[in-house]
Amino acid sequence: MQNVKINPYQYLVLVIFFTVGTGILIVPSALAAEAKQDAWIAAIVGIGISMLVIWLFTTIALWFPHLTYIQINEKVFGKWIGKTVSVLFVIMATYYTSSLLYYSATFVTTNMMPNTPLVALHILMIGIVVMGIRLGLETIARSAEILIVVFVALFLILAVFISPQIKFENLQPVYEVGTKMIFQSSIYLVSSSSVNAIVLLMIFPVFINKVKQARKSFIIGHLIGGIFIFLLTFLGVSVLGAEDTARQIYPGYELAKRISVGDFVQRIEGLMGSLWFIALYFKTVLYFYASVLGITQILNLRDYRPLTLPLGMLAVILALVIYPNVVYQKVVEQSIEIFFSVFIGLFLPLVLAIVYAFRKNKFKQEPDSS
Amino acid sequence: MGFLKRRNHSKVQSTSPSQTKETSSTNDLKTSLQDNIQNVKDSLGESSDIVIREIRIGKGGSVKAGIFYTDGLTDTPALQNFIMESLMLDIQGTELEEKLTAEQDVLTSLKDFAMTVGDINDVTNFDDLFTSLLSGDTILLVDGYSEGLVIGNRHWIERGVTEPMSQTVVRGPREGFSENLRVNTALVRRKLKDPSLWMESKIIGTRTKTNVAIMYINGVVNDKIVDEVRLRLDRIDIDGILESGNIEGFIEDSSYSPFPTIYNTERPDTVAAALLEGRIAILVDGTPFVLIVPALFVQFFQSPEDYYVHTGIGSLIRALRFIAFIIALLAPAFFIAITTFNQSMLPPALLISLTAQREGVPFPAFIEAVIMEITFEILREAGIRMPRTIGSAMSIVGAYVIGTAAVEAGIISAAMVIIVSITAISSFVSPTYNLAIAVRILRFGFMALAASFGLYGIAVGLVALTLHLCSLRSFGIPYMTPLAPFNVADQKDTLIVAPIWKMFTRPRLVNQKDQVRQQDPASAKPQPPQK
Repeated sequence: MQNVKINPYQYLVLVIFFTVGTGILIVPSALAAEAKQDAWIAAIVGIGISMLVIWLFTTIALWFPHLTYIQINEKVFGKWIGKTVSVLFVIMATYYTSSLLYYSATFVTTNMMPNTPLVALHILMIGIVVMGIRLGLETIARSAEILIVVFVALFLILAVFISPQIKFENLQPVYEVGTKMIFQSSIYLVSSSSVNAIVLLMIFPVFINKVKQARKSFIIGHLIGGIFIFLLTFLGVSVLGAEDTARQIYPGYELAKRISVGDFVQRIEGLMGSLWFIALYFKTVLYFYASVLGITQILNLRDYRPLTLPLGMLAVILALVIYPNVVYQKVVEQSIEIFFSVFIGLFLPLVLAIVYAFRKNKFKQEPDSS
Repeated sequence: MGFLKRRNHSKVQSTSPSQTKETSSTNDLKTSLQDNIQNVKDSLGESSDIVIREIRIGKGGSVKAGIFYTDGLTDTPALQNFIMESLMLDIQGTELEEKLTAEQDVLTSLKDFAMTVGDINDVTNFDDLFTSLLSGDTILLVDGYSEGLVIGNRHWIERGVTEPMSQTVVRGPREGFSENLRVNTALVRRKLKDPSLWMESKIIGTRTKTNVAIMYINGVVNDKIVDEVRLRLDRIDIDGILESGNIEGFIEDSSYSPFPTIYNTERPDTVAAALLEGRIAILVDGTPFVLIVPALFVQFFQSPEDYYVHTGIGSLIRALRFIAFIIALLAPAFFIAITTFNQSMLPPALLISLTAQREGVPFPAFIEAVIMEITFEILREAGIRMPRTIGSAMSIVGAYVIGTAAVEAGIISAAMVIIVSITAISSFVSPTYNLAIAVRILRFGFMALAASFGLYGIAVGLVALTLHLCSLRSFGIPYMTPLAPFNVADQKDTLIVAPIWKMFTRPRLVNQKDQVRQQDPASAKPQPPQK
């Protein structure tokens, strides 16, 4: 398993997908709910804060370039506390896998096929997720390389075709809600796209062949993902208006519906759906990968493949029970999940960094085992 | 007869030291000619095409000799002119005749002075004797010697070098491989007069003893891949290899993937181009189809003609092939998804006309599509197997009658006939047959997904397909190279075809050393004379 290596460009693509994953689907509406027409400023602020978080992650990871996050936990906190922290981390990854399954399934039932049972869509999605994980990280990375082209092409089509409908009046008055509100609303963006990026430490830097460049691609990838989110928020607010953006569950999809160029290119949202589908798929895969690999390393197993199928079934069941409906989901994701993410994805790594600072000398003396 | 014969020769020689010790192994040739003839007759069941001729040569006919050959595989005029005549007539009354007595080394004298043919080898055991005999060589045994001579004069009736049936081009060489391995290697040699073009031979198949040759350009090819090819070929242990498809089945990376990981071609220019790129050709005796490894996904979209025509049209046709690939794969699935789930995507006018057409049709779109696809597959298969004279006419008439009649009878909607036809035509655009097969298989899967999950199902299927393609490897090279892992330099021959003077590097990964094809790319660009 240690022989698997992906190159920095592939990692960059994975980071982009992880950052935009849920971001471009629901973040614009969450931002617009509180920051109103200044949602796009909140997006920029959010990206700025995110970069700091990513910088923290890369710094922690590069202290131990041959260990995954789970192994770092054990090394820094000691065996038992480390394992406890790791278990929390795995619970988070599994929870978000199911959460994303729910996202993608409700996205489909809301917009295309209202009568399809959720469980069928969950099984279909987890099927290709498990398939991807079983084929290995290299295969996932290569697929991401191909599908990023589709993603960017579709995004450009969306942005170009909707741009004639931009109304700058929708953005005015600028900076009405004030600094405090903007920071407050950007927290959701930070938590969903960058704090959760802690799961990427299961790949970075162990499975990447050029560690120096990998750090750069982590940061740049995150920035590019942030730009996508910013663009979509900007388009959402300027085309739909702040209120409409906040009201929609999927403002981006609403944008796609409104595309109408020369009364000919219109109603292409069915195709545009692939945009969100691809991004959601890779984000789900990365969460699931972290959860599967996490359990494998906590239990010191040799191969993660036997775990994929049972854990996949678990994720389907969990996806069926975590949210009773979309409204519930929206409340949970903007309150409880933020604390959940920040505790595991930001607080614990900070504690780890502090503990590391105290025990630094000890690590310096003993060379890296693995 | 080239490298192949030399290999055989050396093999015989290398085993000879142990043979000279007069071991009592039944495999060794006997000293007595009569015993040997009896053994040959017994082993071959006195087959009627084996000719055994006993002659007497030397002064006063003191030396008994036997000539063995397989009728139909041997060049009989040559045998008579250069072997029988020289042995029985020409040497009469010459100095050589004096030498040919029982006391002298008759075999060496014969070989050195009497045999007026080019290719002569020694044989010491029955296994080699039978292999040579049944391959068409003539065997000369002399009484009193436990070894014999193998005279290479194979000749049989064969198809000449004709235009290939598959992979036809408008512009480009018209010659295609034939069934004879030696002719095929010669066709490649004629294109590449490079001393580094190396050829290794193997005999595979315990009963068919099929000659298989591996060709590559030493110094350009990736040695690891050559080793891998050798290893996989050596692993084959079967009684018969009848076509290169049999070899392909044994050495390909994943048998259950619908996608081919080995390229096959009938065209010498394609093989030469592949060799120049650092690939390896596997030629099999008895088939015009030559295998090329490693084979990548984009290779199946490349036609040799792309490089012989203008870069603009080459690129457009390349793009067209990718589009046709997608249409052939997805058109029916897309139609099912849109008419069943995502009607909103259609403009109202089109939607109304489609709905009106489908009004009288009793089946769901999926069933309709499956009926038409299966009908088409039947027609196509019948068209290939039918006698050629009626084949094409029958399939056209069949398709027309069934299509039109089915629509008028209200079983199938007219739109579905259009969709199935466009799918069928698109699947023939692919320059390689075996990629079209993959599309044919996968199309039904996509139709089922579209019928149950609409566009979402298709998207899921496409992601699964991408994952599968990315997981494949051909002899260690990721199948989707240079798309993933992405490689800028190799894009010149992927989705577009760059001008020939711009293709100055070989594909990366396939070839690791000697990357550069032309030394100075800047000067390669055609330009008007400078004053």
